[in-house]
Amino acid sequence: MQARRYDTIARRVGYLARSLVPLSLLFLSGCSAHGLSRQFLLFRPAGPLSAADLRFTILDVAVMLGIIIPTAVMTTYFLLRYRKTRASAAYDPHWSHSNLIEIVVWTIPVLTVALLGYESYKGTYAVNPYDPRMIKTAAPGRAPLAVDVITTDWQWLFIYPQQHIAIANKLVIPRGTPVVFRMTSATVVNDFFIPNLSGMIDVMPGMRTKQVLVADKTGQYKGYSANFSGSGFSWMGFRTHVVSRSGFTRWAQAMEKSPRHLDYAQFNVFAKPTTNTDGKTYAFSQVHARLFDQVIKGVLAGKVYTTRLPPPGAA
Amino acid sequence: MVNVQGPWSPLIGRLSLGAIPDNPIIAGAFLFSAVLGVVILGYLTFGHKWGYLWREWLTTVDHKKIGVMYILIGLVMLFRGFIDAVMMRTQQVLADGPHSPGFLGAAHGYLLPYHFDQIYSAHGTIMILFAATPILVGLMNIIVPLQIGARDMAFPYLNALGLWLTAVGAALIMLSLFLGDFSHAGWVGLTPLTEMAYSPGVGVDYWIWAIQIASVGTTLGAANLIATIIKMRAPGMTWSRLPIFTWTSLSTNIIALTSFPVLGVALGLLGADRYFGTHFFTAGLGGNLMLYADLFWIWGHPEVYFVILPAFGMMSEIIPTFAEKPLFGYATMVAASFAIAGVSWSVWLHHFFTMGAGPSVNTFFSIATMIVGIPTGVKVFNWAFTVYHGRSRFETPMLWAVGALFMLLLGGLTGMMLAMPPINYSVHNSVFVVAHFHTMLMVVIYGIMGAVAYWFPKVFGFKLDEPLGKRFFWFFTAGTIMVFIPMYTSGFMGMTRRLDYIANPALLPFEIAEEIGIGLYVVSVYYFVRQLFVSVRDRASHRVGADAWGSARTLEWLTPSPVPFYNYAVTPRVHARDELVWRREQGLEAATAAHYEDILMPKNTPVPLVIGAFAMTLGFGLVWRIWWLTDASFLGIILTVIARSFVRDTDYVVRAGEVRKIEQGLRGNTPGTGGDGTQGGVGVWRPQESGS
Repeated sequence: MQARRYDTIARRVGYLARSLVPLSLLFLSGCSAHGLSRQFLLFRPAGPLSAADLRFTILDVAVMLGIIIPTAVMTTYFLLRYRKTRASAAYDPHWSHSNLIEIVVWTIPVLTVALLGYESYKGTYAVNPYDPRMIKTAAPGRAPLAVDVITTDWQWLFIYPQQHIAIANKLVIPRGTPVVFRMTSATVVNDFFIPNLSGMIDVMPGMRTKQVLVADKTGQYKGYSANFSGSGFSWMGFRTHVVSRSGFTRWAQAMEKSPRHLDYAQFNVFAKPTTNTDGKTYAFSQVHARLFDQVIKGVLAGKVYTTRLPPPGAA
Repeated sequence: MVNVQGPWSPLIGRLSLGAIPDNPIIAGAFLFSAVLGVVILGYLTFGHKWGYLWREWLTTVDHKKIGVMYILIGLVMLFRGFIDAVMMRTQQVLADGPHSPGFLGAAHGYLLPYHFDQIYSAHGTIMILFAATPILVGLMNIIVPLQIGARDMAFPYLNALGLWLTAVGAALIMLSLFLGDFSHAGWVGLTPLTEMAYSPGVGVDYWIWAIQIASVGTTLGAANLIATIIKMRAPGMTWSRLPIFTWTSLSTNIIALTSFPVLGVALGLLGADRYFGTHFFTAGLGGNLMLYADLFWIWGHPEVYFVILPAFGMMSEIIPTFAEKPLFGYATMVAASFAIAGVSWSVWLHHFFTMGAGPSVNTFFSIATMIVGIPTGVKVFNWAFTVYHGRSRFETPMLWAVGALFMLLLGGLTGMMLAMPPINYSVHNSVFVVAHFHTMLMVVIYGIMGAVAYWFPKVFGFKLDEPLGKRFFWFFTAGTIMVFIPMYTSGFMGMTRRLDYIANPALLPFEIAEEIGIGLYVVSVYYFVRQLFVSVRDRASHRVGADAWGSARTLEWLTPSPVPFYNYAVTPRVHARDELVWRREQGLEAATAAHYEDILMPKNTPVPLVIGAFAMTLGFGLVWRIWWLTDASFLGIILTVIARSFVRDTDYVVRAGEVRKIEQGLRGNTPGTGGDGTQGGVGVWRPQESGS
């Protein structure tokens, strides 16, 4: 009696638990219906680089789903059709080999990998940060804008060496112009990431990495450091303003009047560990033309921007 | 020696009262552990259990007991890592957007950034190295000797040493909770963040030495298992008859033996930077941080396959048993396992496509990574064709195995995405990647849970409770979907990983969904604990015979459950790949040996435990820079090893008459079919009288 009651309860809880799976899926689809689509930054590329990333994502997912969905359906069908409680199904207790099936199951993944491998080869060269082919076709013959990127603990500094200006925690670029970034870190590894505009490229101390992008649409885009760099990391965002070319010229001229200047000594003050909790930006004029190289040279010579020991017993 | 920030004295190193955290959460954890510790110590003392504990567990060299202790360590650490996960999810759901509330002194959420960073670092380190790895090593320890018909591992003493070194690593991590702090730099510990300049505390040192000491244990264990599989197989157990789990254990331990030393070197050089002031991985003065990334991932990627290959092996054992049919494509399954193990050595750079390597390098590693998908895909197809024309029963182990198969499909989809650099650039350091590798580790966890349910009756003689096990499975699965589907989704919204504060409030619905998911996980953990409790309480009604599932196929199901300490009364002779099926079909399933022989067994020894204790004080001394303690402990280890090498009397003989008595006792106690699975070469077998 007791056992039967227990069985009933067990069955009910079992049903409940099983129904949670489809329910949880329903809940998720409900979430995405609430006008969130604008928030899917990776699906809203604003330049050829991120558009290429998205194109390859779609291609890859389509090819893989072409294999995975039939496999999942087949497996489920086999599991249900050949279940023990369905006595009428065929049962072959010794069958464990078939040359034909073996050939097919090796051929399918080999062909898939061959196709996706070729696409990967094409894609890797297409978005190669040192020679992105799509930039050349996107903005033919336009003189690129150089921006030097330096990360500190935990701020971004964007230097415009041609204009001798710099701005911290905010990036302003003109629309339709290739922007060539040289990036280095004064402290630890960060990762330069503007979801709508460019994928991630690491920003490393004592080294120089590059990224190139073109922005097609004016607007404001979120930028992040994607690689964990210490306790101020979560606040290490920057806004990217894509403005018209004339707007950019006006902005650069206004920047030249900034009272703050920046040379290596002043940079070392700026680079003291700072968590940018309120999203402050700083404008600099008369920026030293070779500041980027000086920072790399300094790091290579052993310059560190030491973190304080956390307060005693900080968990 | 490097100058450290803060006080240092020759007697107690960097220790001071300030090293004890004054955080209420940690105080609560300490109180919980203290109460638990007092309860356990009280039980041992007042129940007069110390002698039992010492004789049967602490000094044992029995591979099954060592395996059980590995799994216990793994489960305790799995629980700790899970609590870390609950804390992280709760922090992220609370700290979403600039207007989110702050508690306990935090600006947003309830954890200070430095605390959150330690939690996620501990979560990763623990789950990979101190939960998944020990549980898998434990399962291999228990099952492999049984599957190949051996009495124990090739080196039982070495086996115990590996266990205690792993335990020391786990203990050091737990200690860091209450004394000092833990690394905040993630389980990868990318330099120069882990260098003295940016991590001046003891956290990174705890991380280094916990991993370093435990990985010595894992390396020794790998050598032991390889030797066991090659040298200790029963007569007739040819390579083409080796059970598939043993095959995957062999491939995975080849990976471990060759890759863990690389980790040792990487952490050793980082340790040299932190202790001697060298510049291997610093940003300047000739150091190269990318060298660290290379070395770490040259170990790190094979480590991923080190944990997943045994899971594949478990699925390959469980699915045929519950489909009541041989595994489809045995030879291709073995080939696929070794292909995965081989390719695992040439894919490590895909962990840092974004470090600015040239397109030719990235393409090479991209295609190498995709090639892993070929043998993995073959495995999925082979499992599907194993159930084709089978008779599938959905008992708990089968549910977990099928769940693992579907997780593998999802993980394969996202893995093939990440293998492509143009896609990788857009999601590399996002929560999409976090969701991907959790999906893959879910394959491991599902495999482990299936294997624990599957082989539990073999080790303990009774089954785990089925209804509770099924509830555990379904709540766990619902939790997995609820946590990781939103996580994939928020990756496409550009959400990066390791955030203690989320600047974008649009992510809140997804964080809430994940919090609900973690709640479902909490419910599933409750059912898991309850399942263990109910199963032990009602063990009399859950008793099983030698073949606990009635349709098991491999050799280990021949000997009685629970397995006697000598495994097989008479070393079995193997005739077929699925030996038990062969014997069942020959009517030999319930045969007993005609006569018994003396058995030589290894003696218990406290030496591994002593070396473990010295390793613990060594690790502690190194973390806190107490040099006299370090020197004394190191000397202690050397002297113990030398002293042990003079001990000649390491084995004892179990007389044939005693074996007969034990076997008869087991036969009397085991009801049901196949309960008297004693063994012997076929020449000395006789079918048992029916009706007895």
